[in-house]
Parts: sequence; C-alpha cells; structure tokens
Amino acid sequence: MASGFDVSRLESLLESAKLLQSTLDRSQILKHLLRSVMGRVLARRGLLAIRNSQGTFEIELARGLPSLAARSPYNEASARAAGVEHVFPIATSGEPAGYLGIGGLAAALAPEESDFIQALLGMASSVVSNAEAHLLLDQRLQELRALLDLGRGLAATLDPDEVARLVGLTLAGRWAVSKYAVIAARDPHPPVDRRKGLDLKPFEEIKARLQSLDGGVRDPALLGAVNAPEGALLLPIRSKEELIGVIACGPRPRGMAYREADIEFGSGLAAQASVALENAWHFRDTLARQQLEKELELAAGIQRDLFPKKLPPLAGLDIAARNRQARQVGGDYFDVLPFSSLDSTAPHLLCVADVSGKGISAALLMSTIQATLRSLLRRESSLLEIAGLGNELIHACTPPNKYATAFLCGVDPATGACRYVNCGHNAAVLLRSGGRVEMLDGPGLALGLFPRRTCAEQSFQLNDGDILAIYTDGVSEAQNRNDEEFEVDRLAACLREFHSEPAASIVGRVFDAIDSFAGDAPQFDDITLMIVKRSNAGTTAVLGS
Amino acid sequence: MPNSFSVSGSRQEGISVLALDGFLDAHTAPAFEEAIEKEVSAGHNRIVVDCARLAYISSAGLGVFMTFIEEVREAGGDIKICAVIPKVGQVFEILGFNSLFEIVGDIPQAVARFAHSRAEGG
Repeated sequence: MASGFDVSRLESLLESAKLLQSTLDRSQILKHLLRSVMGRVLARRGLLAIRNSQGTFEIELARGLPSLAARSPYNEASARAAGVEHVFPIATSGEPAGYLGIGGLAAALAPEESDFIQALLGMASSVVSNAEAHLLLDQRLQELRALLDLGRGLAATLDPDEVARLVGLTLAGRWAVSKYAVIAARDPHPPVDRRKGLDLKPFEEIKARLQSLDGGVRDPALLGAVNAPEGALLLPIRSKEELIGVIACGPRPRGMAYREADIEFGSGLAAQASVALENAWHFRDTLARQQLEKELELAAGIQRDLFPKKLPPLAGLDIAARNRQARQVGGDYFDVLPFSSLDSTAPHLLCVADVSGKGISAALLMSTIQATLRSLLRRESSLLEIAGLGNELIHACTPPNKYATAFLCGVDPATGACRYVNCGHNAAVLLRSGGRVEMLDGPGLALGLFPRRTCAEQSFQLNDGDILAIYTDGVSEAQNRNDEEFEVDRLAACLREFHSEPAASIVGRVFDAIDSFAGDAPQFDDITLMIVKRSNAGTTAVLGS
Repeated sequence: MPNSFSVSGSRQEGISVLALDGFLDAHTAPAFEEAIEKEVSAGHNRIVVDCARLAYISSAGLGVFMTFIEEVREAGGDIKICAVIPKVGQVFEILGFNSLFEIVGDIPQAVARFAHSRAEGG
C-alpha cells in the first residue's frame, strides 16, 4: 500500500503525525484531519463524525453541508443524501472512533489518495480515542469540581430551601437541563419544594412509591407515576434508611441519555443534599426549641407571680404552703383568699387545686381558675355557689378533656369552724390532736367535666392541736425507683411525728420525707402541700420550693 | 474567605446586559439567579450576559442559565453569552453549552444578534 505514496503524501502524513503527537486538543486534531483530507483531495464538502460517550456517532464538523448540523446524530445514508460521496472509518481495526466523509471533489478519488486517507485516519484513530478519553476525563474533573463547589455552597447555608436551590442549579448546569425539581419533607418542617418546569406530584404522594428504590430511576412507568416526563432522571434523597426527598431532572438536550456515570454523580450529589437538609432542619429544630424554652421560662415567671407571694396572716391560724413543679410550668395551684373582708379575723377561703395535664395548657387553665375564684369571691360567700360557677366557667371555656380538681375550704379564724367542698380532689387529711386521722373526701367531680355542679358542702371543726393537710396527688403519688407511691399513710405519719412544729416546718418535713422516699426517681407531677394549724399565735407562711 | 462575585445590569437598545465579575459558583449563583429573575419578571426577555470579567464558572453557575433559558425563549427572547475567557469557555464546551447558547465575542455583537433575529421576525 505504501508503495503508492508519493513524497508529498509522506510529508503530509509526517506533518499530521507530529501534530497528533503534540496536542491533545480534540477539536484541533479533528479540524486538522478534515482540513488535511479536504485540502489533499480538493473536496468542497467534508464531514467528521465521532463516537460520543453514549456509543453513537455525532457530527462534529461539517463543511459545505448546510443541512447537517454539528452535534446532530450521524448516519451514513443522510450524509450521502446531503452530498457526501466517500466515507472513511477512523480506525485501524474493529469499531471505528468516527467517520470522515468527503464530497464535491474536484476530480475522481484516486485509489492511492484513498489509501493515504485511510493511513492518516488509522494513525489518527488512537489519538482521537485518546482525545475522547481526555474529554471524559475533563467531564469527570468537572463533576468533581461541581461536587466540591456544591459542598462548599451547602456548608454555608442552613436554609432548607437554599439547599434545594443550590442542588437544583448545580444539576441543571451539570446536565444542561432546563426542567428540574428538588422536593423534600420532614415533619414538622414546611416541605421543601423547588421546581422549574416539572409538575412533579407532591412528595407525600410519591414517597411510598419511591421508598424502596435505590440509585437513579429512569424507568418510564415510574416516571409516569410521579408525573415526570420521559427521559427524566429521579434521584432519591435518603437519610439513613428513610426517603426524605427526591431530585428530578428533566430530559437532557439533544436526546442525550443519563449514563451510569451521571447517576453516580447525581447520587453523590443527593447524598450531599441529604446531609445539608438534615443539618438545616436540625438547626431549625434547635432554634424552635430554644424559642419554646424562652417562652416556657416566660410562662413560668408569669405563673410564679400567680402564686401568692405571702399568705394573709389570719388570727389564730398557722398556715403554710409550698408548691414544687415537675416542669417549668405546672398545673397546681394554692391560695388563701378573703371571702369579702380583708380583716384577719374574717372568714377566708383555703384552696388547693390540680389542673389536668401539665405544661403550658395546664398553667393557662390554672390562671383561669385563679381569676374565676378571685372574681367570684367578691360576690359569693357560699362555697357551693363558688364551686358551681367555677365549674360552669371552666366547662364553658375549655375543651372537655381539660378539668381541675379542687379542695375549697372556708375557715372562720375566730371559731375554727370550717366547711368544705371537695371537687374530685384528693381527700384532705385532718389529723386530730388525739392522733386520729379524718379523710375529708366528699361527693363531687372535678370542675369543668360536666356542666352541672356535682359537689356537696360539708363541715368540720378545726380545734387546737389539729393539723389540716390539703395537698395534690403529687404528694400521695410521689414514686420511688420501685414504682411505690408515697401514699397518704406516709403523709399522716409525717404529720404525727412533727405535729408539734409550726406549719412551715411541717411543710418542710413532708417535702424532705417525699424527697428521701423518692430517692433519685424523677418527679413526675407537681407537688403542692398546704398545712393549717390552729394556734393562738397565728402565723402564715409561703415557703419557697 | 468566599470568592467575590458581582453582577451589574444595564440596558442597551432595549436589551438587558448583565456583566458578571469574579467567581460564579454555588456560593454566588443565587446572586446571578436573582439578577436574571429581576430582568425576566420585568418582562426583559432579551438578555446578554457579558462574561469578560468572569474568572470561573461552576455547574451551579451554568444552572442559572438553564433555569431561565426556556422561559425566556418561550417569551420570544434569548440569553446570549459574550466575551468568554478560554478557561470559562472550556467549561461551557465540556458541558455542551456551546450548542445550546449563542456565544459571541463581545457585547455589540451580542446586541446585534438580537437586532438580527428581530429583523428576521424572530
């Protein structure tokens, strides 16, 4: 074959070989090839098609062939129809790296020119393939850069919507797609939904469908099910095992498919998105928690102000009370309020109440009860009326599952005469001076449960040496590590043991007893205790918790 | 320190020219996106992006072009790119943007391309 070469052809081959060795710039090589051949055989039309990464052939260069656009798919028939007369494979053997076509030659193609062209293309084929490999390398490098760039961008944001935006932009740029969507959701956060031109179904609707999938999804049936167009790619965003979102990329331009390498890249990007979304959500959670804690602190402060700072001193009575909350805000309440006269010898209302539930809702109801009591006391002196109206008010202004148990006791300091209503509350303990215990229970359901009042008024006489203990279930039901409860018996024993001490001191003794009983078991419920003694001195105290 | 990037807009012959300066990456892509968004929502669909001072572009930066191109073309406009430095041009090429966007030498050429397409009735 070489025998047919003249010197000028050999020179041309040598020149090409030098150029091919000196550059890895693919487009330069291709242009040179086409130029050399067209120049050599004086062709007016020329065409170069190269195998792309999908394994199909694409027109790279077209000269004098206006109907054949660069980057469009190549096939020999349409090339010939457009005016290409000779087609040469760019190959030494086996699968060609591309094709070179020429047409519009000044003269018929001599066999030796044909040999020359084949020799040139054979020599160039490995370089073209290398250049192609080089292009792939460039693309991988670009992918790495994109991941790095995105990683930096994501590290700088704690906004889930911003994460979706960066992920969307990066993929749109990487794959030259103009339609995409990034959707994700995690309770209790608002859903992340960034979409451009894709009318994907809401995440909650498609979550179950995508749950078990891994990697990238190109299955047309599945794409249809989530309302993504054919040719699109879905990339699940997973956090541990859970599907937290999905990235959808519309079809690539010029009918390009998503390759395995693309899916690998996309999956890496989805993994980054997952971490960034989780971080952003976690940050939001922390912020919200801090905000809630701030509000709770505020509520606790308001509630502390609702408790009497000082109980009114009543002649001949020694009264002390203490409340310790299980949480920042609780649902227990105690108070000592005058029925009408502020005089220390005038009848007063002793009240201990326990609101259902804990936390802010309980505290709100507690403040309602306090306001109710205070407003009613001005007008009503009958315990039954107070309990009845209180019941109606609470029933009317709270949901049915909110209620309060209360022990209301009217005491006349002058005589020690007491009457009480027990609205579903723990029976108060009355320790007589002789050591006998009377339980002050009574008919009556919690306030707010039913529209009609259910309690009845009862009375007793508080004598010298008697101790009245009104408390909430936080006292009797305080638990130790063995789930045993403190119970009324331990309270009564405590009262007996320290009966000679002042009320304030007895309150302290009972709290100490509860604490040593509970040990390191956590306090579940608010603990409230009011101790009333009859004494000639008459002191009252509120003890700090 | 984050890379610096700025985008400044002007109007030339009824065409919006956005001049990019610096590094267009995931950090800075939102600024560019907002700039285009502003033009598009003002009904300015004929946009020239001047890349003469654009030192670097990442996929996220290219994503901004993709995000708006369809919308702009559907409205009868286009985004034309001009004065790309070789390093940036290489990225355009690797990712196949050369065939999706008209990339020309300078602003006057880009503006003229719009005048051309208008004359053609496009």
